Amino acid sequence: MRRLLGSPALGAAVFAAGLLLAWQVLVDQKLISPVFFPSPSRTLEELWDQVASGRLWDPLAATTLRMFYGFALASLLGVVLGAAIGSSRTAREFLAPLLELMRPLPASAIIPPAILFFGLSAKMATIVIAFGAIWPVLLASVHGFANVERLLQDLCAALRLSRRDYLLKVAFPSALPDILAGARVSLAIALILAVVTEMQASQPGLGQNILLAQRTYRSPELYAGVVTLGILGFLINRLLLLIERRVLRWQAAQQ
Amino acid sequence: MPVQMKEDRAVQAAPARGAAVPAVSVRGVSMAFGAERKGPEVLADISFDVSEGEFLCIVGPSGCGKTTLLRLLSGLIRPTAGEIHFHGQRVSGTSRDRAIIFQDYSKALLPWRTVAGNISLSLEACGVPAPERSGRIRALLAKMGLSHTARHYPNQLSGGMQQRVQIARCLAQQPKLLLMDEPFGALDALTRQKLQDEVARIAGEQRTTVVFITHDLEEAIYLGDRVIALASNPGRIAEMVEVGIARPRNQLETREDERFLAHRHHLFGLLQDASFSP
Amino acid sequence: MTRLLRGTAIPLLLIISWEIFSRTGSLPMDTFSRPSAIVAAGASGLADGSLLTATWQTFEAALTGFAIAAVLGIFFGVVLGLAPRLEAIVGPSIDALRPIPAVALIPLTLLLFGFGLKMEASVIAFACLWPILIVTVVAVRGIEPRLLEVSNALELSFAARMRKIILPAALGRITVGLRVAIGISLVVAVTVEIVLNPRGLGYTMIVAQQQLRSDLMYAQLVWLGLLGWGINALLERAVSRWPGAGVPGSDA
Repeated sequence: MRRLLGSPALGAAVFAAGLLLAWQVLVDQKLISPVFFPSPSRTLEELWDQVASGRLWDPLAATTLRMFYGFALASLLGVVLGAAIGSSRTAREFLAPLLELMRPLPASAIIPPAILFFGLSAKMATIVIAFGAIWPVLLASVHGFANVERLLQDLCAALRLSRRDYLLKVAFPSALPDILAGARVSLAIALILAVVTEMQASQPGLGQNILLAQRTYRSPELYAGVVTLGILGFLINRLLLLIERRVLRWQAAQQ
Repeated sequence: MPVQMKEDRAVQAAPARGAAVPAVSVRGVSMAFGAERKGPEVLADISFDVSEGEFLCIVGPSGCGKTTLLRLLSGLIRPTAGEIHFHGQRVSGTSRDRAIIFQDYSKALLPWRTVAGNISLSLEACGVPAPERSGRIRALLAKMGLSHTARHYPNQLSGGMQQRVQIARCLAQQPKLLLMDEPFGALDALTRQKLQDEVARIAGEQRTTVVFITHDLEEAIYLGDRVIALASNPGRIAEMVEVGIARPRNQLETREDERFLAHRHHLFGLLQDASFSP
Repeated sequence: MTRLLRGTAIPLLLIISWEIFSRTGSLPMDTFSRPSAIVAAGASGLADGSLLTATWQTFEAALTGFAIAAVLGIFFGVVLGLAPRLEAIVGPSIDALRPIPAVALIPLTLLLFGFGLKMEASVIAFACLWPILIVTVVAVRGIEPRLLEVSNALELSFAARMRKIILPAALGRITVGLRVAIGISLVVAVTVEIVLNPRGLGYTMIVAQQQLRSDLMYAQLVWLGLLGWGINALLERAVSRWPGAGVPGSDA
């Protein structure tokens, strides 16, 4: 019992609860405006209401699917292109400057051209998300495929492994740690762009919801939406970490 | 079934002696690196033969081009001058008949595959169908004393075990020629001795031709039927010695054999000079 | 030399074919524009100062947000880094706030501040805070313990300790976090401007798009790319000059 009382987990919970309590008191005492800072109880109430009435699931699903499709497309293309570019010195020489130029460009900067081509539509959103999310996983892929251990390449030559077998059985597993690290960044970008494109193009989803809530001054809904997005962000990152740990379990295996 | 080499034309190189075609024939081989291969020569005019089933050790100081020579024999690189023939046919690339064991075992094994998986890679490359593979893997594991590690990952094993895995993987190819690049250099003395005996035994059983590279003179004499001493800068043959000690050898008695000591004395001086000569 | 040639080959080819196909009519002007028009639009944008004004607005927001994040991040990072017990208590709350995508705060800050510099800087500050905070905590934790003992023995005040011992020792690693944050600040700034804030480069791009001025829009895009690349290059050079920066840290 004493250990529980002194444990950091309890302290953390108390601290968090304390912050929320202070906020609640400030709002209840009208020291801060409930229009801009709805109380935690009000926000929680709103969140609970959305869950109970089922109002939450459609926008949540819309945002998640949008993010996921864009991410999946970006990852697939990113790995395939990364494999092609990374495993060929000629390709790297021709394409490296182009890739490096794209690296510091903000992904959202592609939105105005995308609107020009596709209007304010769901298609625009998917393209923006895929285009923005491809870079981290593509660059990581190129790096991974370009840096396969020299001895392993020699081994494959000595075994006369076909190019296809080399790429699938040796280069790809070797590049996987890099690819997964890039994928995590790509997923984060996909979420951000999903929210952004929803706001931009009035596409259904959590992003559009919180923007509408702002316009109509429905701040508990706004805050509830932000919390939901935070939880979504947390969950997808955890999911990817879990997948990474499973796929790369050979890394953890030590004597 | 051992894999047949792709080109089976009877292109014969003229054998040095009238009799059987040597397993390996090296003629006037030189190797230079650098831009357009015009840099300093790492190897200069090397010529020697290796008979079928012979255990040849090549010994020399660091930097004398031993590893380069091995890579030339495997076909990973091509000589700047000269020719290498394997069973009468010109070496122009790699072949599964010539297996190479690298010194840095940690980097030569696939870390994401288990021990069994690593051995399987060779079998997959040789086109062995899946049902047959598990049986062969089990046999190889048993032969190398690795049966209990089948499901382990390489980074869970000691250095000696990892090297055993590499050897097992090479044996899975059923090679006609085994090329070993200072395989025991990074291991402790005890493990080294155990593995020396194992390799000698296996090579003897299969009658595989072996080219074994080391900087350890005693290891070379202990293991080899013949020892070639290389001088450095550029790498060239300083001496060729027939060991002439009967097999099976053992760590204690062989190393006290008078022929062993005689060879050791003879080559020791040579290697000292060789490492200082320009 | 061949490497340089090869690297520029494909971009040059793309630009040239872009220009040619545009002039033959295969690529419509209002969506694709053409390189010559883009360069012209860019040149005039620079000449009349509009591009630079917009750039300054974006920078202003980015730097303000970054500065706020840096001050808060380093201060609290040092405090939490020096007091691991405190970090254990506050940590989970930080971990709860961190996964919130900064862009989700756009409507929130709009509600609080309305359009303009303040809302943009707040979103940027939120986005930049976490990398700086975390890197600072790690950097402070990694300070050679003996240095801290020395500061204790000398009985320095908190401010003096920060200035003379803690910050210099942790600076190498902290600058890495700062570098990441600067990159983030620019990206978030442009994003907020594209979505709804009527100032800065992002906004000018949306305006150009709405006016169907594709040449201007692409010129601004290229300008943005050059800025991003230039800032990156500057940062890398600055890092290599800084004593101890870029080195994996001053930890034992």
